[in-house]
Amino acid sequence: MPSDAALVERLVQRDETALAALYDRYSGMLFSLLHRILRDAQAAEEILQDIFYQLWRTATHFDPGRGSLPGWLTVIARNRAISRLRQRRPELSDDLAENSVALPFNLESAVAQLELLGRVKGALESLPKEQRVALELAYFEGLTHSEIASRTGDPLGTVKTRLRSAVETLKRRLQP
Amino acid sequence: MSGHPIREEDFDLLALGALEGEDKRAIESHIASCPECARKLGQAHGRLGLLALSAPRVEASPGVKERLLRQLHASAEGRAYTPARVEPESTARSSGRWWAAVFAPAAAALALASVFLWIENDRLQEQARRLHNTLAIQQREIGELRQIADVIQAHDTVSVTLKPMTGPAQGTAKVLYNSGMGKLVYDGWIAPAPADRSYQLWLVPMSGKPVSAGVFNPETSDSIAWLSSVPQGLAVKVFAITLEPAGGMPAPTGPMVLMGPAS
Repeated sequence: MPSDAALVERLVQRDETALAALYDRYSGMLFSLLHRILRDAQAAEEILQDIFYQLWRTATHFDPGRGSLPGWLTVIARNRAISRLRQRRPELSDDLAENSVALPFNLESAVAQLELLGRVKGALESLPKEQRVALELAYFEGLTHSEIASRTGDPLGTVKTRLRSAVETLKRRLQP
Repeated sequence: MSGHPIREEDFDLLALGALEGEDKRAIESHIASCPECARKLGQAHGRLGLLALSAPRVEASPGVKERLLRQLHASAEGRAYTPARVEPESTARSSGRWWAAVFAPAAAALALASVFLWIENDRLQEQARRLHNTLAIQQREIGELRQIADVIQAHDTVSVTLKPMTGPAQGTAKVLYNSGMGKLVYDGWIAPAPADRSYQLWLVPMSGKPVSAGVFNPETSDSIAWLSSVPQGLAVKVFAITLEPAGGMPAPTGPMVLMGPAS
């Protein structure tokens, strides 16, 4: 099974089969994320296609030594979906060169993705319900501290503490 | 903010998009000029990106990949063809020689014929691509049907009938489950879900949390069948279908609609 770096190298040589392989590798994970955020299959498919087309166009900007491809794909997918959901401009640049997303895990096989899914679910389930809800509102709906407070009816300070504790736990439980 | 952020979690909160106002501006302005903190922000983005894996698994339609590959071909062909069509016209216009008048109509006819052949060639290529894509879809469908057949024919496949739990009957379904293969075939009918809801099929194991086997939205009350892959070797106690927010949930939250014990 070729690595992401090898496939990106072939993308730079304009090898369409490399893009198809990367699509097969990551489209399930990305589409599930887009669908979870947007709850709209058509909009999710449009963004999915755009992301892979952008990867095709800008593959030369990608440096495997600086960042993880699935990390970048996930950040860009979430950024675009949240922008569409909230009808605002994307917060981040989509440029591969400007975003070095570090991901200390290999997601190149479906089995690796499933194994990591188990760890992520375990980490989420270990959170108190209020922390998990706040984290999911921030990640999947793009809400800020004060927006979460307004949505849940909790004091702003409480929301800040919950989110801070949630990301601390996540960081500890998802150490490589 | 002149120094590094005091708390490490600030990177995660910024990556999450939860920070706002002055807190956000200060850390962003620091990171813009601090490679070490930019690296930590990249790590936070990667860590939080793992939450994407917790989204209920949904597959895009095969049409997306086909459209993507068509988009690639169109852009490549656009670059290849553009100069070839422009150059002959500009050459003819710039020439003032006598023979230009003689050859101009022939050149124009040739150009027209070239354009016609180019369009025809493009149409045939597009047709070939469509046929190729259709074939790929059919091969995938045949592959799935073979897998369904394998599950149905396997001697260790169990068949479970799922019945309505409460209220008026909303449907009935059968689940064919093969633990060793990690495959499940759903076959049944169920009334269409409300607009903002989806049905989700769960495997409730003897121990541990329920495992999602698929999210589905029947458009009619007709019977449908589909194949799902689940972790291999699960000892299942109960199969259940719940009504969840559209797109499904990582764990069951909604009312149970159909249920059937594994034995």
